[in-house]
Amino acid sequence: MSYEVVIGLEVHVELSTQSKLFCGCSAMFGADPNENVCPACSGMPGMPAVTNKKAVELGIAAGLLTNSEITRVMTFDKKNYFYPDLPTGYQITQLFAPICKNGWIDIETGSGVRRITLKQIHIEEDAGKLVHDNRCDASLIDFNRTSVPLIEIVSNPDLRTSEEVVAYLSKLRLLLSFAGISDCKMQEGSMRCDVNISVRRSGSGKLGTRTEIKNLNSFKAIARAIEYESERHIEALETGCETIIQETRRFDDGKGETFSMRGKEDATDYRYFPNPELMPVCISDEWIEAVRATLPETAQDKFTRLTKELNLPEYDAKIITGSRNLSVIFDETMQRFHNPKEIANWIIVELLSIAKGDNKGEDDIVIDEKKFATLMKLCENKTINRNVAKKILIKVFEEGVDPERYVEEHKLGMVTDTAFLENIVRDVLLENEKSVLEYKNGNQKVIGFFVGKIMNKSQGKADPKIVNELLRKLLDD
Amino acid sequence: MSYYISGCMTGKNDQTLVAIEDSIMQKGRPVTAGSKILSGFTSPLDATVISRLEAGGYAVSGKTKMREFGLLPLCEEACEASGAVRAVADGAVSFALCNDFSGVTRREAAENGICYIHPTYGCVSRYGLIPSACSMDQIGIVCRDIVEGFGLLSVIAGNDEKDGAMYPDKSYVYEPLDKKIKAFVPENVLTAAIPEDKAAVLALSSHFDGVSTELAYFDVLNKAQYILSCAEISANLSRYDGVKFGFRADRYNNLDGLYVNTRTQGFGLDAKLALIMGSMVLSKEYYTPCYEKALKLRRVIKDSLDFKSYDVILLPLRITGGAYESSAVHALAALAGLPCVSFSYNGGGVQILAAPKNENALLTVVKAVTR
Ligand SMILES: [Zn+2]
Repeated sequence: MSYEVVIGLEVHVELSTQSKLFCGCSAMFGADPNENVCPACSGMPGMPAVTNKKAVELGIAAGLLTNSEITRVMTFDKKNYFYPDLPTGYQITQLFAPICKNGWIDIETGSGVRRITLKQIHIEEDAGKLVHDNRCDASLIDFNRTSVPLIEIVSNPDLRTSEEVVAYLSKLRLLLSFAGISDCKMQEGSMRCDVNISVRRSGSGKLGTRTEIKNLNSFKAIARAIEYESERHIEALETGCETIIQETRRFDDGKGETFSMRGKEDATDYRYFPNPELMPVCISDEWIEAVRATLPETAQDKFTRLTKELNLPEYDAKIITGSRNLSVIFDETMQRFHNPKEIANWIIVELLSIAKGDNKGEDDIVIDEKKFATLMKLCENKTINRNVAKKILIKVFEEGVDPERYVEEHKLGMVTDTAFLENIVRDVLLENEKSVLEYKNGNQKVIGFFVGKIMNKSQGKADPKIVNELLRKLLDD
Repeated sequence: MSYYISGCMTGKNDQTLVAIEDSIMQKGRPVTAGSKILSGFTSPLDATVISRLEAGGYAVSGKTKMREFGLLPLCEEACEASGAVRAVADGAVSFALCNDFSGVTRREAAENGICYIHPTYGCVSRYGLIPSACSMDQIGIVCRDIVEGFGLLSVIAGNDEKDGAMYPDKSYVYEPLDKKIKAFVPENVLTAAIPEDKAAVLALSSHFDGVSTELAYFDVLNKAQYILSCAEISANLSRYDGVKFGFRADRYNNLDGLYVNTRTQGFGLDAKLALIMGSMVLSKEYYTPCYEKALKLRRVIKDSLDFKSYDVILLPLRITGGAYESSAVHALAALAGLPCVSFSYNGGGVQILAAPKNENALLTVVKAVTR
């Protein structure tokens, strides 16, 4: 018997607005607890909500990028429930007239391109954070995230495998991060995903009982949770030992299993109703076109530009356009050093491996592009050689040193004095007569050995080109 | 000074005093909206109307007593008029500001021989007003003289970017219109009115050319208003949970206990009734038959008004029966966001309603009949 896994996703993405959805507080991540809080977003009475226009524009942008229909008269609703991290006792969200409907995106997996359709995208406000402090046995509330604007992207149950889910999420992340809609960082919670999953016999038209998985903190966790949960459903269908019930389950990353969150969650009546204090937002054609005009290059556009206009190999272009951060580093560096292939090499070979050693992903790399460009210039105009440049890059990455000054202070400039280098080369050849003989017998590989020795003697500063020429000249004489 | 909760004289002796209802927030001062649930809460800011009053050279005399959140007195019998009305009626101040979404203040003002101006919904900022029913909340003016009241209204009215549900106009000029006013006097409403008010409306209407048909949906106006206002109140009062500010019960065992005990002890009967009714009409079971129906009704009621055929609507202030029955004549202004003035005339209570932002029609009528 074969089975089909049916998956739908609810993806929450925090919008990259300066301020919150209904007040002027900063929406930035990482502030001290309750630093970005005012009477309105901490639930005090007497603060009418005022819609942040920028959040609506980012919602429109998300709709345009996902081929959605944009709602012309958008309204907000109130969702009522009591919880200490929700200071007003209601969340402002969109149930009746969400900003976008009926969109789609194409995803690519090993088995080709597939179109995933979206039910809707709606704007809503985030809740605060509840922290239990064991020292004083008290619950503490941080309202910094309260009322930060989110969009929730709800897909139809079109996805079938964990591979497709990861491809879908990666595509969304690329679309949204390149457009500046969200930075989509799962580890900071600016991208969150709930998975709705059910299993049915292949060919069956009827959907199986669905469970919802929450608490998924990485693409890897999402894939593992889907694998686990679909196995659980299939086993239940096959053995009949367990009955799948419609419920919300929590994924335990450590155990790699999902657990029932048995609570009153599903029984809650949220008493949604149209928010009477907010006027409907009218979205005109002009407004939509104005937003479209400000949309920056997509990852796909950028890939085309890098390969067609800048003649980068597809492999390089794919890595660079696979991360919004790398793209920005590439573009910013290009402003100062116009050698795309060289920049791509430095990013892909050197920068990524340094970051990896520092346990940083491509989205977390922070580098001063001006210094990065200077370093490449120093290398290109032969002030320093490539090996020295690599060492300095680590210093730029870790300590933010200024490459020019660093070269000067540590006297790392490349040695191009041919007479001086020739002396070193002669010394090395004299000291390694056995290897010279090997070379004469046709072993080209020893050249590398000589270069290493020479570089050592010159503290790594010798011009490798001159060294090579000298070696050939002296050996072939 | 029994109409005050607390005196908070600001300004100098020669300034005109304005009393404010205890639902309007003043920085650094307690504000309760007449509810124990807000005891201990201090306002972090000045309401926009307070800053505009002060900028306009007026002084705040103190905060007046009010029914809890300005609710209709359905469970708890109101033994005396609100502090705002009494303060003006007794001559302690010339004006008082309050939120009269339910219409009770409108009635009380006329009963005490003074007047009330209920501006168009969305003309006066509600920043710093403790919300009851957002779609109807509107700060109005208790005054002895309507023309003077409009003078004060021009000081506090006008767009405020801190209130997202306002007309864009920065300011308003209130002056009589140079035209012959046509009045709509609904027969069916007059039939239901108490005799004094019916006589007063008829006397008033004799000054104008009249349109005399029935007011559509009169029998369901108060039901629609009650359903919608309770729903909105139930959401607005959720923030009073004992977690962050205001009253918190002394004893509780867990989070649910904190909520239940705080709200049980903190709210009065009328608030509890509104919370129960509001939660019910928004529940899955009753949303469509109650709340959604009331919303649709509100739309139909607005559309049924034909301000092309008349400039103003003349209505009595009291209907035979209790507070709930009487609210039928107050619901129209609240549901349709209309401006309205009320006062006593020939021994009865009358109210005049006009199209949104057509306060000038009201002023024209008032000048014509009080000359
Ligand atoms: Zn805020």
